[in-house]
Amino acid sequence: MPKHIMRLMVLVAAAAVAGFSAKTYFTDKSYYRYGHYRGDSVAEIASDTPRFRGNAYCKSCHEKQYAAWAGSPHNKPSEGRHVQCEVCHGPVGLHPAREGVPPSFDERLALGAKHVSFGAQDGPPGKLPARKDQTECIQCHEAMPGRPAAQRQVELAAHAGTAPCVSCHDPHAPKISFSGMTDKPKGNAAAGKVLSANCAACHGPAGASTNPAWPNLAGQHAAYLITALQAFKSGARPNEMMAGMAAGLSDADMENLAAYFSGRSCKVSGADKAKVSLGKKRSASCALCHGPAGVSPNPAWPDLAGQNDAYLGATLKSFKDGGRSHPVMSSVAKTLSDADIDNLAAFYASANCK
Amino acid sequence: MESDTSEAKKAEPGSALRRNFLRAIGAGVACAGVWMNDPLRAATPAEEAAPPDIPGYDWRKHKWAFGVDATRCIGCLRCVEACKAENGVTQDAHHFRTWVERYVYLEGDEHARVDSQSDPGNIAASGSQQAFRFDNRYASAPVEKAFFVPKLCNHCTHPACVQVCPTGATYQTPDGVVLIDHSYCIGCQYCVQACPYGAREFNHAMGVTDKCTWCYHRITKGLQPACVEVCPVEARVFGDRNDPDSPISRFIRNNRVSVLKPQTGNAPNVFYAGIDKEVS
Repeated sequence: MPKHIMRLMVLVAAAAVAGFSAKTYFTDKSYYRYGHYRGDSVAEIASDTPRFRGNAYCKSCHEKQYAAWAGSPHNKPSEGRHVQCEVCHGPVGLHPAREGVPPSFDERLALGAKHVSFGAQDGPPGKLPARKDQTECIQCHEAMPGRPAAQRQVELAAHAGTAPCVSCHDPHAPKISFSGMTDKPKGNAAAGKVLSANCAACHGPAGASTNPAWPNLAGQHAAYLITALQAFKSGARPNEMMAGMAAGLSDADMENLAAYFSGRSCKVSGADKAKVSLGKKRSASCALCHGPAGVSPNPAWPDLAGQNDAYLGATLKSFKDGGRSHPVMSSVAKTLSDADIDNLAAFYASANCK
Repeated sequence: MESDTSEAKKAEPGSALRRNFLRAIGAGVACAGVWMNDPLRAATPAEEAAPPDIPGYDWRKHKWAFGVDATRCIGCLRCVEACKAENGVTQDAHHFRTWVERYVYLEGDEHARVDSQSDPGNIAASGSQQAFRFDNRYASAPVEKAFFVPKLCNHCTHPACVQVCPTGATYQTPDGVVLIDHSYCIGCQYCVQACPYGAREFNHAMGVTDKCTWCYHRITKGLQPACVEVCPVEARVFGDRNDPDSPISRFIRNNRVSVLKPQTGNAPNVFYAGIDKEVS
């Protein structure tokens, strides 16, 4: 064979050997194991750690919240509804350890548009708070074309304005059960009558106040009276006079007093008719909680019917200017003008309280 | 014949040499071909080789599929947020492994008005690119029909993206999932172009293509994909078609399901109920 042909063949062979060696060297061992890809990559992808871990993991510590949720409309698998813990609280990761907890909503905002790493993070033990403003709830419950009719939806403006949903609804058990709440006082009315001597100077012997600036107590919901006394005692509702009066009351005393006053019959004081009719028109936004005629369907919220107009007006003004604060009432009161407040006070003062 | 050749040989001495040379080259090429192809021929099909080393999981025993019930979807976008958190998808309004579209027909409309969570109006409603919400732009409009459609990778039986990948970075597993090996992806984005569903996104930070894996790291551990896990209304269904009692088998059996763009021949494995012809 001529020399130049031999050279050519040697060159071709050398190139083939070099090419094959390079291919063998650079191709991963697991390539072609299952097909035209790197076989080991399958197990690598499968080895990632799940961040959403399901309800059972949450339940192991947060049993009380789990129980409340389990019996609520948020857990109705038979109707295809299953709003698990991580839907609102976000992925659990390695919570409670800080390390490996995926960033919370607020942290994600701070991170900005970055590829999020789930490595160790600085800071306190990882907490998983759900958002407490409306956004968490209205993500599913804002009335919107396209949502199926079976989905519970509310018109935000008509339902509660901008008040946070959690001020009335417990997100774990969001349904407010009016029938389940009893207004039957637990306390002893007779014992309450004895104690009530201390209250009589201002609130009258049977709960009919001697001065329109002070509230009538007769016929008020027992549950509300107890809440109010507790708030005075703890300082949550600042009032010098009442703080002193409530300081000496035990829980049992409060129940007895509430039983006594809630059992007394109320009387209507009456007010300017023109203001009453204006107040009635403005009362739509109060009706949801306090009832259309000022008689609240829920014993946790006060009846307004028959209350003194001076007291009602002063209370609304104090919610408005921040003297008293309440998640719902503070925001509602800010929408009222001074004239609105006058009219509303007149309307409720003249409403039938029975 | 014989004599002809021998005569021809004698007549042209160089022809025998040329013939031998060509024979040698032919044999050489054939041998080289066999030799080079050997690894390909030796490679056993995926069903025969030992399955990948995933504890407690055998990919020969499953055939995954996904269902979307558009009649149940409320457009809350928890799935989109969950997917991003579970898979570390870029936290902005341009990168999604799964997304939700809203189809709205106003009175007299022939075609649907379509928007998704990355629409500027919806981003303005959520207030950030890290949380997602549909705005209520049709609240007082004369809406004739409206519905939400969750979308994700269809994990096609004949995936066009796998066919065009030049490096073998994307592939189909025997259990019916299309995955991406990010260490082999060169970022050429042929697959992004090839996918008829726009299911693939390009991760600019890492220079690789990314897409839904049906949470392969979850389903191989017996969990549901993150989007299915958080869906509060069971609009997303996932399961094993080998099991006639799995949620997906029931879903396909009990609904009039369809797939997106069947005419492309990709044979998707995400089945939809309650969508209309405008959805593709």
